[in-house]
Amino acid sequence: MDETTPPPPPEEHSPPPPPPQSHTGSPTDFLKGVVGKRVIVRLTSGVDYQGILSCLDGYMNIALEQTEEHVNGAITNRYGDAFIRGNNVLYISAAETI
Amino acid sequence: MDPSATGIQEPFDLIRLSLSERVFVKLRGDREVTGILHAYDGHMNLILSDVEETIMIVDTENAPDGTVNVAKRKMEMLFVRGDGVILVSPPSRA
Amino acid sequence: MLIFSVFKTLTDQQVTVELKNDLSITGILKSVDQFLNIRLDNIKVLDEGRHPHMMAVKNCFIRGSVVRYVQLPSEHVDTQLLEDATRREALSQVKR
Repeated sequence: MDETTPPPPPEEHSPPPPPPQSHTGSPTDFLKGVVGKRVIVRLTSGVDYQGILSCLDGYMNIALEQTEEHVNGAITNRYGDAFIRGNNVLYISAAETI
Repeated sequence: MDPSATGIQEPFDLIRLSLSERVFVKLRGDREVTGILHAYDGHMNLILSDVEETIMIVDTENAPDGTVNVAKRKMEMLFVRGDGVILVSPPSRA
Repeated sequence: MLIFSVFKTLTDQQVTVELKNDLSITGILKSVDQFLNIRLDNIKVLDEGRHPHMMAVKNCFIRGSVVRYVQLPSEHVDTQLLEDATRREALSQVKR
């Protein structure tokens, strides 16, 4: 009978590189990873705060340093430190590699 | 400044370290207040003294957009309910 | 709890409660509860022209959640005491 085409020989490649850490972790891992890093915090109002994430708590209350307030892309305020009440937070985005 | 040098472990530390200092508070409804912080709680209810409130009123009718009218008023001692608070900024300590 | 205590010390004093709908009511603080619901007596509405239906009202109960501000009589607020109590409460919550 006709021979079925043999399966391709198994290639001895190295296993695929693990995906970058930032894609594997839980939301908690992400939050732990961005502490001390530059972040963008968007509020539900659409206002953005860009600064260094000092810390945050379970309510997503946030402490930022060297904060710039952005409204429609323009800087509208600067704060040395800023406490953001968690209920206003839409998301936290890493603004540098974590 | 080194971010880790400020000794802040949770966000409320930032507020605690601002007691008896003048703080800036951004509120819902295009309002801002500055005042000396005397008390707060976990809801971000605040008690401030020597308060100045600024209300931004955007004039959409007879002004080119972007024009903001500002109303200011002063109050001696004020309780601010926490649910209206968006942001609190302590005095910049250099 | 701390703020609740502050309001309790201010019972029978005159306060001005500003609501989120911009209505401002001055009156004697008769009582307050843990939700910061407030009972006021001898009330007067700041802008009666804009709120004529309030003119006949002599006392009221205000749900805490509709309050924006309460203007307090500063001479009856011990700010040093407040700051100390606030620090104490903050520390006790960290250790919880």
